[in-house]
Amino acid sequence: MSHSLDTSRSPLEPSSRSKKIAAVLIILYVLITIIPLLLIVMTAFKSVPDAITYPPKLIFKPSLEGFVNLFTQRTRQPKAYLESLPPAATWYEKIVRKRQMVIAGPSRFFHRFVNSIAIGFGSTFFSVFLGTLAAYGFSRFRIPAKDDLLFFILSTRMFPPIAAAVPIFLMYRTLGLNDTYLGMITLYTVVNLSLSVWLLKGFIDEIPKEYEEAAMVDGYSRLSAFFKVILPEAAAGIAATAIFCLIFAWNEYAFAILLTFREAQTLPPFIPTIIGEGGLDWPAISAATMIFLLPVVVFTILLRKHLLRGITFGAVRR
Amino acid sequence: MSDRAIAWLFTAPTLILLLFINIYPLIWSVYLSFTNYKANRRGVEIAWVGLKWYKKILTDEDVWANLQVTAHFLFWTILLQGLIGLSLALLLNKKFKGHEVFTTIVVLPMMLSPAVVGVFWTYIYQPQAGIFNYIINFFHDFGEFSMIADVSLAPWSIIIVDTWIWSPFVMLLCLAGLRSIPDYLYEAAEVDRASKWQQFIHITLPSVLPFLMLAILFRGIENFKMFDMVNELTGGGPGSVTELASIHLKRAAFEKWRTGYSSAFAVILFVTVFGAGNIYVKFLNRIKEK
Repeated sequence: MSHSLDTSRSPLEPSSRSKKIAAVLIILYVLITIIPLLLIVMTAFKSVPDAITYPPKLIFKPSLEGFVNLFTQRTRQPKAYLESLPPAATWYEKIVRKRQMVIAGPSRFFHRFVNSIAIGFGSTFFSVFLGTLAAYGFSRFRIPAKDDLLFFILSTRMFPPIAAAVPIFLMYRTLGLNDTYLGMITLYTVVNLSLSVWLLKGFIDEIPKEYEEAAMVDGYSRLSAFFKVILPEAAAGIAATAIFCLIFAWNEYAFAILLTFREAQTLPPFIPTIIGEGGLDWPAISAATMIFLLPVVVFTILLRKHLLRGITFGAVRR
Repeated sequence: MSDRAIAWLFTAPTLILLLFINIYPLIWSVYLSFTNYKANRRGVEIAWVGLKWYKKILTDEDVWANLQVTAHFLFWTILLQGLIGLSLALLLNKKFKGHEVFTTIVVLPMMLSPAVVGVFWTYIYQPQAGIFNYIINFFHDFGEFSMIADVSLAPWSIIIVDTWIWSPFVMLLCLAGLRSIPDYLYEAAEVDRASKWQQFIHITLPSVLPFLMLAILFRGIENFKMFDMVNELTGGGPGSVTELASIHLKRAAFEKWRTGYSSAFAVILFVTVFGAGNIYVKFLNRIKEK
């Protein structure tokens, strides 16, 4: 063994130089990849003319026009009429008046937002509820052709949503379920069931069987052992699964655009249709996108320890 | 209640729901694919047309063009995402200070709705006000060009956005692979005085490979089904240069209302995904056994 050998650090630990290079490259990647997200936030606070100037404006006077446009419907009025009106009473009316318009009423955004919340949370509840039961069943009991059934559950995900949409559209039309909460919640529940069963089975598999067996020796029935022992143990896993289901339902677009029109339309098909005068209203779209994406960003940060598991259906657990 | 009763009580609702919403429509699709049914003409008697639609699809040059577009999209997205994802994983695995925070930031685009993000990219790609063109022209002045409206650029516009969204997915899986390598392998290599490069070729790469393959499998299946982002970004256009299989299906089913034809197309797509997925999984298992 030579004396010059550096023993201050393990040979497995990357050298500080390679760490620095890695950090610089990652920061570079992050700077590039974050541009679209920063641009969404910036554009949300731009005025309409600032959003479409050439070259793109990096420094601009912040404006809430996008948000005002997002939440209101406006009509253009002749100058004489505008001058005959009493002065604008609120800050948002002032912004609208500047564009020679008056507020005609609230926009449909809030309604679509409520739809997204209701359908997202509704379907998440059912897919996690049913998924927990099924996962426990598959984890603990002998079920004939268990592996085949589990593969069948997973394979429902391979079907392209557009291919599934044709017969579901026809079936829903017969049942009167197109464009209804009931129809969309049922559909999203089923779409998320495969994920929910597979993820939760992984989480429940990790709870030793001895826990509930001990409880059953103490006089618990199988059912009460499930409720009093397994559910609390699996709580973190159930929460992570719920967040994944919620994100998928929140983001879902293909079924939403084909099966909903007015009553049950969610935000993903609605946001692209926000138009102002002479085309898409970019500040309003950005404002909507920002409001739409923010919860997902928060959830992603909460989920960071379980991300890998969630996106691979529990195939890779780390 | 007996265990047996509980087992059925717990699993039956899920299985019944899947049968009702997934399998029943699938069977119905297969049936419709042999008929002349059109969803916008109700009350007309459904006539059996046999293999007409399947023959038409398999001999239709437009369909082959769609499949070529899909293949081009698949090839480049998988190649780019594999390279970028693996590189990111290798870099983040250096465990520099703050690497966990950066991992979370890198992952963000993947969690956002591809459709909504796709809409916003039409703004980024705008010939005049768009930041993408501005940045490209900053490095080399190409003058005015439109990523979305130009026939030769449009296929790349969707590849860029897909790569932006999904490279982190490959990164996460590769990172899991890197972390699964036991330290003693490297320790033994150090004792044997293997160079860093040799260690990379003989230890790191073979260990990451199954994870990389799994990531490619997932991405392949997902991108074969790709609909949301592309539908909002290019809508299949200009013409049909970005008309991926799913977009073609949507146009046939919900714009032209050719229900029989689109059901046949759906069945063909499903069989392709399912078959390719199965072959790939077998291949993957063989690699894992080694």
